[in-house]
Formats: sequence, structure tokens, C-alpha cells
Amino acid sequence: MMRQALAFLFATLVLSLGLCAAEERQRPEQVQSDISMREISIQSNFTGVEIVLFGSIDFTKAPSPDEAPYDVIMVVRGPQRPLVVRRKERIAGLWMNGESKTFSEVPDFYAVLASRPFRAIASEETLKPLGIGFTNLDFGKTSDADDADDGFRASLIRLQQKRRLFQESDDAIGFIGRSLFRGSVDLPVNVPIGRYTTQVYLFRDGKLLSQSQSSLQVHKVGFERLVYMLAYRHPLTYGLLAVLLAMSAGLLAWTYFRRE
Amino acid sequence: MLQVYLPVAEISVNLLVMLGLGAAIGFLSGMFGVGGGFLLTPLLIFSGIPPAIAVATGANQIVATSVSGALAQWRRGNIDFRMGLVLSIGGVAGAFAGVLLVGLLNRLGHADVFISLVYVIFLGVIGSLMLVESLRAVWRTHAGKPAMTRTPGEHIWIHGLPFKMRFQRSRLYISALPPLIIGVIVGLLASVLGAGGGFIIVPAMIYLLRMPTHIVIGTSLFQIIFVTAATTVLYATMERSLDVVLAILLMIGGVIGGQFGANAGQKLKGEQLRLLLASIVLAVAVRLLIGLLVPPSDLYSLAPVVMGP
Repeated sequence: MMRQALAFLFATLVLSLGLCAAEERQRPEQVQSDISMREISIQSNFTGVEIVLFGSIDFTKAPSPDEAPYDVIMVVRGPQRPLVVRRKERIAGLWMNGESKTFSEVPDFYAVLASRPFRAIASEETLKPLGIGFTNLDFGKTSDADDADDGFRASLIRLQQKRRLFQESDDAIGFIGRSLFRGSVDLPVNVPIGRYTTQVYLFRDGKLLSQSQSSLQVHKVGFERLVYMLAYRHPLTYGLLAVLLAMSAGLLAWTYFRRE
Repeated sequence: MLQVYLPVAEISVNLLVMLGLGAAIGFLSGMFGVGGGFLLTPLLIFSGIPPAIAVATGANQIVATSVSGALAQWRRGNIDFRMGLVLSIGGVAGAFAGVLLVGLLNRLGHADVFISLVYVIFLGVIGSLMLVESLRAVWRTHAGKPAMTRTPGEHIWIHGLPFKMRFQRSRLYISALPPLIIGVIVGLLASVLGAGGGFIIVPAMIYLLRMPTHIVIGTSLFQIIFVTAATTVLYATMERSLDVVLAILLMIGGVIGGQFGANAGQKLKGEQLRLLLASIVLAVAVRLLIGLLVPPSDLYSLAPVVMGP
């Protein structure tokens, strides 16, 4: 009786261990990622910065390092705010702003990086809900009801690209071995402040396998921060200080340069 | 390439370009004895500063130049404080209306065109008048005739108005209404243009109020301090469009340029100076007009949505 019980216990143990090992082999790939900098400080000598996003694939099933069946897409998004796009028209001989369209949720910064052209990685139906690619971005509600493609949306994307605040890059991610990868993105000098999120998507055969998210903070420091905080949080103090500064400058110039 | 980031304008500018711009305006204002704000704002707009930032920051810079100018005039006893205060009360009220107007137009996306258009009209009219006047003066001195002298004013309709006040330094006993109204108009224009408005108030004081010429410059500078200070604070609180970093750069350049300008001005004759200034004023007006008439390279523009004050 005792021997039977022990044998049963042993059999269960072996079986469950075996199952565990099988499950281990069967477990789906997981992607882990992080950013080279969690905080970016803007001061007067700020001229832009390159951040590196890196990650690894756990439980990789890649047969060899040369054959990487995985595709990676990274999306970096800045805080959102409403933007108005205006179109100039000739009115009474003068070029002035005529029609306009307001978009309620435009990311201040948006970059897509991919290990190869991302439209080849997955289908439009897969990419659209994830907001991957300029054309798949959702800018929220617009000021007018009809969503006809009237050039405003395309111009918004074009102008943001010109300011390097919207970026699409097809070959910015490289693999190191079979499970490590890295991508880099340039934050330009005019990068808006706020909380940024980075999303890393792992694909194989056009299917999303796993995703991982992290965030970084862009803020102003030192004198820049002081001026910005004063100007936006305490505008009266800021205005009065500016006047005081100008008056002392005038007084100083007069005492220093007076010819008497 | 010394790039400086402007924290409120949220753009990067070249340090040397902005210092140079301040110095050029300081040079001109030292040379011609004018405030220079009416040239500074258009030049800031030409160099890519958004117009709402340009007018607010221009006003802040003029506070500095008018303080040092007014101090020099005060030492010579050339300020009528009573008149200056009456003009300032009107001026601050006018500035308030002007900032409200620019703010409203900014939200509608029409501030750029409006500011440019007002400039084209004012610089065009004033530049043309100065050009004609200085050409006549140059011609007259060439012909050997003496410069024209103006006959002192007689009693006009202004003297019949109520609320009479005695302005001792100006030797005037007139109604407070004309200076008050002149103040309002000048304050309105000065705040829209981001200038001191000396080019309007000086002729108004001489020809409408009949103030003695030597009192006019000092009193106008005294009044400009209040109007530009009020304009600065109003733009900072109502529009958040004041960039103090840009203002500091312009002030440093302005102080340096002003000293050289004053020396250069003494080497030229009055009518030659006016001819030169008239040409500069007209050139800026033409440049602004071209900007309004020529099709822009990009029809579309982006702007953050500004909430009400």
C-alpha cells in the first residue's frame, strides 16, 4: 500500500516535471525593452539628443542567428494637445489665413522605427488599431463634422515632419544575435516637454506576438525651467520682473554712458 | 553657430543675429533720436519670430531705452510730469484695448496680417511724409534759403473744451481731454505695433497740444515708459507671449549700438539724417507689403490652440 502510494507520487512528479519542460518549450515569445535615458533635461545649450531603445526576445524560437524570423516596430509618442491647421487664401489681394481645421489630439512628437519597412511586417488591419504609421494616427475629433480628406490632415503631417516632430524610419532597428535588438531616435532641439511613451511590438509572420511599454520624461531645468514656470504659472510676476529688468538696464546704461 | 533656445517662443535663434539686431536698432535710435521699436518689431518678424511674441518682446525692450532716454531728459528739466501722467493714463487704457485686440486676432489666426498691415500703412505714410519734407529741406539749403520757421499757435477749438488743467512746464492751460484721447490712440497703436509710439505722439504734442518743442521729447519718453511697461505686463498675463530671454539679448545689443549711433548721428546734418531714416522706414514698409502680396511658399501653417485669457 505504502509502496503503491510512493510510486504514484513519483509518477505524478515525473509527469508534472515533464509537462513543465514541454510547456517551457511551448511558451510564446515575450519582448522586454527599455530606453537609454529615462529623463531628458533641456537647458539653454540643448541641441537635441539621440535616445536608444533596446530590448530582447525571451523564449526565442529562432533557429539560427542568421535567420531572424522576428520583426520589431517601435513607436515613440509625446504628450497630446490640440492643434489648428490654417490655409492661406488671397483675400482682397492680401495673403491671409482663411479656412482652418482643428484636431483635438495631436501627439507633440511621434516616431515609428522598424526593423524593415513596417508595411511589409504586418497588414494595414493589424497596424491601424495600434496607430503605427502616420496614416494610421488618430488625431481625435476635428472642428468640422465631415472627415473628407481636404489636405489639412496631410499638411499637418507634412509640417510636423518638416519640424522633425514626426518621424518614420524603416531601418532604424538592428538585431544583435537572435534575441537582442536596438533602435535609435533623434529628439530634435524643438522637442516638446512632457511624458513620452515608447511601445515595442514583436511580430512574426504578420502576427503580433508580444508588446512592451516604457516611458520617459522630457523637462526643462535650470534657467529655462525658471523662465518657463514663471511665464506660464506666474505670468504677472513674470511680466513685472521683465519690466523691472528693462528699467534697471535703462538706468544702468544711463549711469554708465551719460556724458556730463 | 551659437544657438539660444527661447523658452516662451519655443524656437532656437542665433545669439549673434539677435545681438546684432538689437545693436542695429540701438544704432539707429541713437543716431536719429527715435525709439526704434517701429523698426525692431518688423525686423523680428522678418527673422522668424512669431508676431505676437515680437510685439510683446519689442515693448519690453523699449522700456529700457525709454528709461535711459527719459533720465537724460529729466536731468535737463525737459519733462512735464503732469502732462506725462495724463497722457499715460490714456495710454495704459489704449494699451489694454490693443492687447485685447491682438489676442483676439491671434486666436483667429489673423494677428500676423493685421500687425503687418498696420505697419505698412503707418510706416508708408510717415516714411513718405518724412521723405518729402527732408527732400524739400535738402533742396532749400542747396538753394541757400533759410530753414522754415513755424508760427506759434493761436487759439483753436481745443481750447474750448471742459476739464481744464494747468500744465506748468508746458506753459499751457488746456482741457485734460485732448491729451487723454491722444494717449488712448497712441497706447492702442503702440501695443499693436510693439513700439513706443513716439513717431505719433511727438507730432501730436507739437501740432495739436502746441507744447514747447524742448519739453515734447522728454515728456513723450516719460509717457512711453508707462505705456510700454503696461503693454509688456498685459501681453505676459493675457497672451503669454513675452519672451524675456529674447528681450535680454535685444537690450544688450541695443545699449552697445546706441552709443555708436549717437556718435555717428552727430556727424550728419539734420535733414540728411531725416532723409536716411525716411528711406529705411519706407524700405521696411515695402518689404512688409511684399510679404503680404507675394504668394507664400507654404499655404498651410500649424498653431497650437490658444485658450482664452
